[in-house]
Amino acid sequence: MAPSLHIKPGNNFWSGHFHAMASPCEVLIDTNDQALAERLACIAQNEAARIEKKFSRYRDDNIIYRINHSAGRPLEVDAETAALLDYAEHCYRISNGMFDITSGVLRRVWQFDGGDNVPQPAQVAAVQELLGWHRVDWQRPLLTLPEGFEIDLGGICKEYAVDRSAMLLAAQTDVSFLINYGGDLYASKPRRSSQGWIIGVERPGQSTRHADINQPSAAAGNFELCRGGVATSGDARRFLLKDGIRYSHILNPLTGWPVRNAPRSVTVVANTCTEAGILSTLAMLQGTEAEAFLAGQNVQHWVLRD
Amino acid sequence: MQLNNKSKPVRHSLTLATATLLGSVSAPGYGAASNDWEIDSSVLYYAEDGRVSAIEPVVRARKTIGDDEFLTFRLVVDSLTGSSANGAIATTAAQTFTKPSGDATYTTAANTTPLDPSFHDTRVAVNGEWEKPLQDNLKGIFGANLSKEYDYTSLGASATLAWDFNSRNTTFTTGLSLNLDTVKPVGGIPDGLTAMPTTTTFTKASVGDSDNKTVVDVLLGITQVIGRKTLMQFNYTYGQDDGYLTDPYKILSVVTDAGTATLAATPYLYEQRPDSRVRNAFYWKTVHQFEQDVVNFSYRYYWDDWGITSHTFDARYRYELGGGHYLMPHARYYLQDKADFYHYKLVDGDIPRYASADYRLGDLSTTTLGLKYGVELSENSEFSVRAEIMKQQSRGSGATFPDVDAMILQANYSFLF
Amino acid sequence: MTKLALSALCCCLLLAGCNLQGVRPWERNVLAQKKMQLDPYPNDSYLDDHIYYSKESSSGGAGVGGGGCGCN
Repeated sequence: MAPSLHIKPGNNFWSGHFHAMASPCEVLIDTNDQALAERLACIAQNEAARIEKKFSRYRDDNIIYRINHSAGRPLEVDAETAALLDYAEHCYRISNGMFDITSGVLRRVWQFDGGDNVPQPAQVAAVQELLGWHRVDWQRPLLTLPEGFEIDLGGICKEYAVDRSAMLLAAQTDVSFLINYGGDLYASKPRRSSQGWIIGVERPGQSTRHADINQPSAAAGNFELCRGGVATSGDARRFLLKDGIRYSHILNPLTGWPVRNAPRSVTVVANTCTEAGILSTLAMLQGTEAEAFLAGQNVQHWVLRD
Repeated sequence: MQLNNKSKPVRHSLTLATATLLGSVSAPGYGAASNDWEIDSSVLYYAEDGRVSAIEPVVRARKTIGDDEFLTFRLVVDSLTGSSANGAIATTAAQTFTKPSGDATYTTAANTTPLDPSFHDTRVAVNGEWEKPLQDNLKGIFGANLSKEYDYTSLGASATLAWDFNSRNTTFTTGLSLNLDTVKPVGGIPDGLTAMPTTTTFTKASVGDSDNKTVVDVLLGITQVIGRKTLMQFNYTYGQDDGYLTDPYKILSVVTDAGTATLAATPYLYEQRPDSRVRNAFYWKTVHQFEQDVVNFSYRYYWDDWGITSHTFDARYRYELGGGHYLMPHARYYLQDKADFYHYKLVDGDIPRYASADYRLGDLSTTTLGLKYGVELSENSEFSVRAEIMKQQSRGSGATFPDVDAMILQANYSFLF
Repeated sequence: MTKLALSALCCCLLLAGCNLQGVRPWERNVLAQKKMQLDPYPNDSYLDDHIYYSKESSSGGAGVGGGGCGCN
């Protein structure tokens, strides 16, 4: 009944592979106990599926759908959704409005397909009327979105799913594991060998990051993750090119236009995957100041530019 | 944006906020336990002019028991009183009939359509349904039902499967149901086309206390999303009835000659219908929304091997008044061609193998016009009332049965909790 | 059988004449409303079905199951 979960043996570890949140997902467990690995991978898959189903904006049967079709009326949300909204609000404040979960509507005028379909200022201004967290009435547990507004938790969901899956696994076992949902990672502790998990950091043009135990850190861009979360923002394929100007897909909700001189990608290592994800997103929004911003945050990071 | 001045506090507050987020929800599968019950309660009052009337309360409860999984339970109590046409024709003289028990008689005045006043019946029916996803894009609905009245018991089960395709824009439905009914009429099952005694001295010929009937129904359907605001459904249903399909309380008048209304020596015979019936129906329904208003239209073409064919047109228009109020006019038009063995009356000496004078098998049309008013009392509750008038008329030339006029009144209260 | 074939043909023609593009999952907001369901007033349709089953000779169309009664 559940979508397929493949369990594979690795070099002194087991891994479980499945597909969720439009990404290839894997859970690497530092054990020789196949049954344990299967059980843990299954728990992670179920949690990823649960979160995807609950927060996906492509479904018509979940809380996100009900929120986005509440037509200006107050809606009572459950505790988990409330916690995510509180978190999104916090990020909105600390970023002075640059991180805004209501900004997804900009998607209607900006389609970053590598073409030259840059919208007219009037179109952008029109869509600007339909976003802005400051216009949202959030008084836990009641959320009131003005009509025409939409929220999109896609910017936090995958990292949140990584951390939630990690919490569930940590409650079940003491073995070291690495969760990798499409490039968003979390490692629970060092492995039996006392080493961390070896991660290959993405470069634009390469395929999604993989944790490859056989590639020692001598290779450029590999590093050892003993404990914590890793997240990356940016994707080189999503842009528009018109009149020689490259418009990155990082949109500034305050202007409706792309951030100028955004890096190609930003990777951050932090205590949790969610935190790493927010930091990498905030760094991207800094444009030219990305490196300076991250330097002041005391986190391991990589910024790649053209 | 200048975050540089607050860089360190950003990470610090972010770490704390993230810890709060991750620490706040303990168990997976947590969800607001909101509104998993849906209750629809209604009371119907049905009254024919001078004939049968009924009061029918219904309660339907639906509970969400899992992801896309529901249990529905319905209880109906149907309380019927009044008189019903017994199939005999009006004559220039008064007529006397025996009641189904055979212990009493009733008389009808001259030039009046005979009605049997014996119909006091209370029926109770319960119905349960389990809707469950079986696989991705496949769901099953399994139901069971039981209906009991003093002379009739019906027990049945059904299963329907629905497959979604094409991003859930197309759904194939297939269904099967089986019902086993037992008829135990007052006074026993009359031997078809034998005489109905007109006095209590004689008893009717009976072939037993009770008999059975088996009903099988099959459904094949497609539901298709046509656009953002339009949905259509096409169904084909096939049904087969076997067993005792006759109405044990209905008779036919026997006249001496085709042109007269003079009753023969044996004036009344119990009716006799075939013991099998194969039914087909093709059904099309469309739902479409305009700005806020919704129109609901359906057409059904029915035909069976008793020779009956019918067309049913049904339209409802939900007119939003704003503020959660709506008005919904309703029109239904039904056209039926008679059964092969339907006879208004029989002629002495020319008694066919099957015959019934039950006007409901004849050439008739039913016209219904109604209006419903509904209001959303709160986010979770709604109240509505509807009133309809229904007129059944015989079609066709020659001696026909009189019109039947009825009124339908219904009040509903629905709520979620 | 001819009637069945004719009905099926009408069905195909009707479908062919309509725009069968369908909708994307995020365009289902209107269709998700209760009043847009195929059976939005379940008690009404149950009661009506019962009335017309008792007063006419046709049955079926919308679905299977539901049970019988001694009224016809």
